Amino acid sequence: MPEIEVLLRVARSLTRNDADAEDLVQDTLIRAYKAIDRFDGRHPRAWLLTILRNTHINRNRRRRPELLRDPGGATRHMDEVVSDEVTDASVEASFDAEIEKALGELDEPFRRVIELVDVDGLSYAEAAEVLNVPTGTVMSRLHRGRGRIRDRLDRAGLAPRSH
Amino acid sequence: MKSLFARFRRTSADSPMSCHQVGELLQHYLDCELDASRSLRLSAHLEDCRRCGLEAETYERIKLSLAQQRPEVAPDSLARLREFGTRLARGEEPLDP
Ligand SMILES: [Zn+2]
Repeated sequence: MPEIEVLLRVARSLTRNDADAEDLVQDTLIRAYKAIDRFDGRHPRAWLLTILRNTHINRNRRRRPELLRDPGGATRHMDEVVSDEVTDASVEASFDAEIEKALGELDEPFRRVIELVDVDGLSYAEAAEVLNVPTGTVMSRLHRGRGRIRDRLDRAGLAPRSH
Repeated sequence: MKSLFARFRRTSADSPMSCHQVGELLQHYLDCELDASRSLRLSAHLEDCRRCGLEAETYERIKLSLAQQRPEVAPDSLARLREFGTRLARGEEPLDP
């Protein structure tokens, strides 16, 4: 089943922990086999991702209800002092580092979409399944999130220029 | 010269895209979520227009850099889950753990 790797990748993004990710995928596979009669045979990856998302939500409700109320990631890195200095390291390295920092500082909804599409390699429709939002929402969050990353590169003087 | 001839051959169906249209569709294009005919027109514009070309390059580099952040999945997790999936498919795993 080639989808297992994608499921594990997305599970890792959702749980941020290898052991939880493995448990989540295992539960997802069990639920998928139970529900296999209801699967229409089209888009197996999207179907499995939907089950993964529902399984994830149920597990969180059961085990860690406080997580659903805590805005969590939105305030991450608030105390991190931003240095826009370009260091002696190669421009390439500081470009990647800047992007990693920018991603970490994005508000949760934007960061999630970018992680699913750009880091995990999902399509818009698949990311929409995982997040349970319309595809249009995935697109607008993705584009705004990338715009913020780009603004940050501009401020750091790392965006490509014409001169 | 080549692009000049290409321009003569264009029909209304594949008329050139404006910078504004490119701006609207660029992200879809980079994500391979744009249909083939518009993708072709968009990439033709990027060849000719320096400003849009740079814009595309910036977002392409962002996307590439993000893809490089992709963490390796834990190999033993993956192996165990593949094994588990196989047993499930053979009916060797109880569905109520
Ligand atoms: Zn242009």
